Amino acid sequence: MFSYYLQLAFRNLRRNPGLTALMIGAVALGIAVCVMTLTMYRAMSGNPIWWKNDVLYAVTMDFWDPQQPNYDKKPELPPEQLTYRDAMAVYRSDIPKHKVIMHKAVGIISIDGSQVKPERAATRVTSKDFFATFDVPMQYGGTWTDSADSGPEPLMVISRKMNEKLFGGANSVGKRVRWNDTEFRIVGVRDNWLPLPTFYDVNNGALEEPEDVYIPFGWTAALELPSAGNTNGWKPEDITNFQEFLNSELVWIQMWVELPDAAAHDRFQAFLDNYAQEQKKAGRYQRPLNNRLTKVDQWLVDNNVVSNDDRVLVGLAFAFLAVCLLNTVGLLLAKFLNNAPMTGVRRALGASRKQVFMQHLVEVGVISSIGALLGLVLGATLLMGLRALYTVDPTDAGGTQALAHVDVTSVITALGLAFFATIAAGLYPAWRIGRIPPASYLKAQ
Amino acid sequence: MTAWNIRPIASALWRNRTGALLVAFQIAIGLAVLVNAVYVVKQRVEKIGRPTGMDTPNMIWVASAGFAKNFDYDASWREDIATLRALPGVKAASVFSNIPLSGGGSSNGFQNRPGEIPPKEAVPGNNYDVDEQAIAALGVKIIAGRPFEAHEILPPSETFETSPQAIVTAAFAKELFPKDPNPLGKTFYDGLSKPITIVGIMEHMHGAWVGWDKLDHVVLFPRIKSGPNAVYLVRTEPGRRDAVMRDIEAKLGDSNPGRLLRWVRPFDYFINQSYLDDRNMAIFLVSVTSALLAITALGIFGLATFNVSTRIRQIGTRRAVGARKLDIVRHFLVENWMVTTAGIVAGCGAALGIGYWISVKYELPRLDLYYLVGGVIGIWLIGLAAALQPARRASGISPAVASRTV
Repeated sequence: MFSYYLQLAFRNLRRNPGLTALMIGAVALGIAVCVMTLTMYRAMSGNPIWWKNDVLYAVTMDFWDPQQPNYDKKPELPPEQLTYRDAMAVYRSDIPKHKVIMHKAVGIISIDGSQVKPERAATRVTSKDFFATFDVPMQYGGTWTDSADSGPEPLMVISRKMNEKLFGGANSVGKRVRWNDTEFRIVGVRDNWLPLPTFYDVNNGALEEPEDVYIPFGWTAALELPSAGNTNGWKPEDITNFQEFLNSELVWIQMWVELPDAAAHDRFQAFLDNYAQEQKKAGRYQRPLNNRLTKVDQWLVDNNVVSNDDRVLVGLAFAFLAVCLLNTVGLLLAKFLNNAPMTGVRRALGASRKQVFMQHLVEVGVISSIGALLGLVLGATLLMGLRALYTVDPTDAGGTQALAHVDVTSVITALGLAFFATIAAGLYPAWRIGRIPPASYLKAQ
Repeated sequence: MTAWNIRPIASALWRNRTGALLVAFQIAIGLAVLVNAVYVVKQRVEKIGRPTGMDTPNMIWVASAGFAKNFDYDASWREDIATLRALPGVKAASVFSNIPLSGGGSSNGFQNRPGEIPPKEAVPGNNYDVDEQAIAALGVKIIAGRPFEAHEILPPSETFETSPQAIVTAAFAKELFPKDPNPLGKTFYDGLSKPITIVGIMEHMHGAWVGWDKLDHVVLFPRIKSGPNAVYLVRTEPGRRDAVMRDIEAKLGDSNPGRLLRWVRPFDYFINQSYLDDRNMAIFLVSVTSALLAITALGIFGLATFNVSTRIRQIGTRRAVGARKLDIVRHFLVENWMVTTAGIVAGCGAALGIGYWISVKYELPRLDLYYLVGGVIGIWLIGLAAALQPARRASGISPAVASRTV
């Protein structure tokens, strides 16, 4: 029966090709716009490490100006980064399973006596747990040890991309490279890794690509590295050298911890509060006690990673889909009613209401399948266009390129949504046509 | 009124209301989206088009990064600046600490009196360390005072120090000294109460962050940026920017093996980058809204065509009993107008609701009613245009079909 309905459906579609094209076009356009917008929305707002949402926390502590909060619009939030001194003090705790303190820096990478041109590399100065905490995949080797962090020892992890530039993609563990003026030994190559948004440091735009070079945290003090990200402060301070900078009230260090269970969470929270209480005695932390352990999903909300523009665009996509569907319902209805005399004959010859309904539903299914397929192609094309929109300089596209990597989950979501919505839209016309008493059409003939 | 046959048209419409209701729904959504999209796009276009105060089409930024152990920053920037100033077509070149309109920069709180002040009274300013050719290189207009002189330029400081003199924008000076018509020569203070004298006032200049409401609060200090990375601003004769950029690449590319010429970029690169989200939002809204309206128009067209095709015999009959072609066209246009108007009435409510939500989210003034009026007229016209062809086809139906059987 099904294959017969399918045959009928195709025959009916050919009967008014203009109307059919219009319907398929509307469905395809609706799906394409939804695929594009949802991909974009997911790239901007999705939690890229959802499987660790219950154990991974950003650490923030409120020692800010007693007279005003860090951010007027969200006065309950501490600053999003820590001071160097607080980060170092809290890092000593052995409660977390993994702990990371870090900041961004910029260095020039070169290899002594090599033909490879020196290159500027975004660098993350971080502690050894970075890779384990954020589940960063490694291609070769691994991370460094605790002693390398405090040493500091000249050890380095580079990205797969950097490894391809410097060593043609070969296993470079043990090779030596120069970072600014210091010689480092490579201990690991991280594999391709693109968390979108880059939740672990939202200072410089959430669509940045992860850094290409990682060096132990101890090098911050040893090489007097300032942050290449944001450095903020509230207190006028007379800073004349790097040591004073490290001891200042300026915030520029990001900290994350992995706490495997509720008990560890509570103990670490108590540890933070205890530290703040002690600092209060020393005259710091004059605001009400407010130390936070924030999960990734909440972190993205707190830091406005999802902008109002994104919300408007998602609303717009759904309005668009709604119009496409209303349109499809109207056109289907028109098409089915146009065909009503034929349906009347079929009913008179003994087809039941249910059979007529099923037959029309199959027709709807054919239309939405073709529409979905076309919509996917169109959506992919639109995403390419979107990539062009976000690229200022093709040689320097950065993380926004990743925006256009078609994200399989969101494509399936959007496709499923659109497909089932179209079928749902077809229910009413199919039902309506089944309800027509056959006699009225037979009479008119 | 009888000539227009409102009543019979309405009752005919009501008997077959499903299709009409669907189209009215589309029109409601279309109107709500259209009005608000135009509103948001206009805000974005205005934001992108604000005057920067600078000669942006003729400006080039150059970044150099020293990395070698024996790299001499002081000698390097002096040599680079001398090379840049000597290039043909260059009007001025200056060492800058940061790039305006790039999203990166430094800002501090300043005050009009020394000592502790309530935080709310601090005036934020986006500050830059620059040298004596900065004003000429920016192309900003000085409305009082003078540019820096070469002997005033201080050596690099590692510690975010301010300087004893500054050139500021008029907007910044006005906020510091609201009652003073001529703030030239007055002294203001940084957060550590170090005094700073205003030696020049710029009419207008944009700072680093395009989303900041104090974008025109700029403070220039006479100081060389700290090393080993340098940023140079080059202003060229009108129209010679691209040629000068090639010259810079050629001259500075290999002039010093201890450093890397990171890039040579036109100012537009940074401006486009800063406004990228705004521009894309505008493009996105315009294209999706046009597609949405096109689909709505197709819906209107489809409904009218369907109505005509199911009523061929009735139309023939009307023609046979004396209706003119014009009456038939009018019948379908009026019918379509009723559907459109029903959608518009519903759409006005939705448009105002969404407009209110957007104005709260973006902290914008409430949606202007002009937009709504414009949107309503626009939708009416679209509806009319979409129904015109089916209506004319209907008027072409021969009266003879009334007497035919099948």
